[in-house]
Amino acid sequence: MAQTIGIGFALGPLLFGIGFLAPLIATLCNSFGISSPLGLLPIAFGLIIGAGLGLLAIIRKTWLW
Amino acid sequence: MAVVGPEETVGLRAREKAIAETFMVGFPWLMAIWPLVNTTLWLSLWPFVMSGILPLWMGFLIATLNVSASYLPSHDAQHHIFVREGARFHWVNELIGWYSLLPMFAPLSVLRVTHFEHHKYTNDPDLDPDYPMAASTVGGALAKALVKGQPRHERYGSTLRRLGTPAAERAAVHGMIMKAIQYAILTTLAWSGHVWEAVFLWWLPLKLSSVYINFYLSWAPHRPMTGRGRYRDTRAFKSLFGNIGSSGMQYHIIHHLYPTIPLSRNPAAFRALRPILEERGCDLGGL
Repeated sequence: MAQTIGIGFALGPLLFGIGFLAPLIATLCNSFGISSPLGLLPIAFGLIIGAGLGLLAIIRKTWLW
Repeated sequence: MAVVGPEETVGLRAREKAIAETFMVGFPWLMAIWPLVNTTLWLSLWPFVMSGILPLWMGFLIATLNVSASYLPSHDAQHHIFVREGARFHWVNELIGWYSLLPMFAPLSVLRVTHFEHHKYTNDPDLDPDYPMAASTVGGALAKALVKGQPRHERYGSTLRRLGTPAAERAAVHGMIMKAIQYAILTTLAWSGHVWEAVFLWWLPLKLSSVYINFYLSWAPHRPMTGRGRYRDTRAFKSLFGNIGSSGMQYHIIHHLYPTIPLSRNPAAFRALRPILEERGCDLGGL
């Protein structure tokens, strides 16, 4: 049980990056008229950045530095 | 400052206890009504903002106050102050505690187990779950509050694992379930066109209130978190924002001496106990 809980918490930032940051980034792009690189859809761009930030947060144990 | 000798200590403690007990009677109505108003108001923000009745910026301000104020009634519930453990209507105590915490979306069980460890090991660098807030300056404490909010930088999960008791294991499961539900709700809101409501009514207020709560509840009454022992690990202090602005923490020393006195009665208890606290040589922070 403790191990399952540990894995769940460990993956939290990635899930947060995909579930919350991705649509937030896409909405920001749309709201401020920022075009995504390589002609990507805003949501695809959000998913890449959100998942990337989430993975970095897991590895570095921080969102900030 | 008076020095208390060993022969005086027993009498002093008895006097202290007798005074403190006068503040432990009766039902703390203010603390019980507080979450009914606070949590209900926070829940009602969602339809009001989503339907355009309330502007998002105003919802954000109210939500930040709501989330910041959601911890304290649960704190009284953690100590079984509303209805004592084992009593017939103890579920009322639990209901108040869980409902109060809805804006924070934190389980009462996790906070109770870890908070009791905080009381048991206040300012212990290894065992106090709040010790990651240790700092000698205001700036340092604010920085520590930001650090504590980063993935796996808090000590509550490791405290539950270290304890390994049935209550700690149950609390860990509650923590996991609540976190999963919270992520699911945020995700659903964000993917269904309500990302700004999710950010400004919940996510950002959570982040801001986390810094506020850690600063005023974990750090300020214990700073610099080096004192140990009943009369040394917690202090009174004068807050720039008053007692309400500091979530009642000016008198937190009373809570650590007598945890079953409701938060709303701590100021009066402090005034009544002040001569004894002075005799004990407690740090009363100019209050």
